[in-house]
Amino acid sequence: MSALLFPLLFLGVFAFALFKKVKLFDAFSGGVRGALPLLASLFPSLAAVLILSELFSQSGLSELLARLLSPALNFFGIPKELAPLLLVKPFSGSGSMAFLHEIISTYGADSYLARCACVVYGSSETCFYLSALYFAGAKKVSPLPVLAALAGNFLAAVLGCLFCRIL
Amino acid sequence: MNGVFAAMFFASLLSFLILDPEGFLPALLAGGEKAVSLSLSLAAAYCVWLGFFGVMEQSGLTALFARAVRPAARRLFRSDDEKALSAACCSVSANLLSLPGAPTPLGIEATRRFLEGGNPFGAHMLFVLNAAGVQLFSTTALSFRLAAGSASPADIVLPTFLATLASAAFAVCLLFFTAPNRRKKRRPRPLRPRARR
Repeated sequence: MSALLFPLLFLGVFAFALFKKVKLFDAFSGGVRGALPLLASLFPSLAAVLILSELFSQSGLSELLARLLSPALNFFGIPKELAPLLLVKPFSGSGSMAFLHEIISTYGADSYLARCACVVYGSSETCFYLSALYFAGAKKVSPLPVLAALAGNFLAAVLGCLFCRIL
Repeated sequence: MNGVFAAMFFASLLSFLILDPEGFLPALLAGGEKAVSLSLSLAAAYCVWLGFFGVMEQSGLTALFARAVRPAARRLFRSDDEKALSAACCSVSANLLSLPGAPTPLGIEATRRFLEGGNPFGAHMLFVLNAAGVQLFSTTALSFRLAAGSASPADIVLPTFLATLASAAFAVCLLFFTAPNRRKKRRPRPLRPRARR
């Protein structure tokens, strides 16, 4: 069922575009033009965080941290292997992307942990980073929206792990 | 992020110094190697999805989508500022489609307009919506799973969507219930004249 999603999505959008007399090649390649600048803007922090995460995990500290946090996370049904992903996500998108990649390559793409990690990654946002950008020009910043967003993201993680188990 | 980086780096550095000083440099280089291979798979994903979104944009689908959610947005953000609303709608829908790079500039633009128009509630609401990150699917997570040889990479789509939907609803409710005293200060809302006595 879900295998059909992408072929159908592309079929629908491209057929609609043709109907609207869009030049498909020009539109597609025009979109791709943004890919490399986007990657170039991500790469520095991606590299810094990946180097850090490698250091952190090889030093054995990440295991220690995960073990410390596991009782609390277990209570909410979140596997302890996701602790670094959960902790870094509010601060850095590329950092959490790195941890997601780690989890998928360590445990296999179809493992429960990897699916969980994907859902946690996809259902949360870089709250602190976003708030810095959004409210950079504001005179006084209320902590309310950030707290609400963080609470929402945590709920999404809890529910996501639950859904991965039952769906 | 700077504080987190410094703290984690020094903690790991110290533990390497004590336990395994020879493993330090290899660990750094292994991290760099991972960054390069990760960037390559990211580049592939961006090419496909940005191309796809280019087609969507040109065919007017993105604009159509933004227009469809306009009436709901007016209520949600408590605003009549057309330009702010349109930027906010585009930002949220770009986020919904996990269009990389687009939601943030649009969101900043809408936030600026909301704040200048004396509507912090609208700005907060937009932030919460985008930060709760309602997403149909995460292109990044999907491409990672594909690259790792997943048998059915799309089976994370439904759980992600449900989880984000619930979390967005929760965060929006939280905002609604924690900001009731500010409501009085705002201009009367033309949408619900009966509410005034």
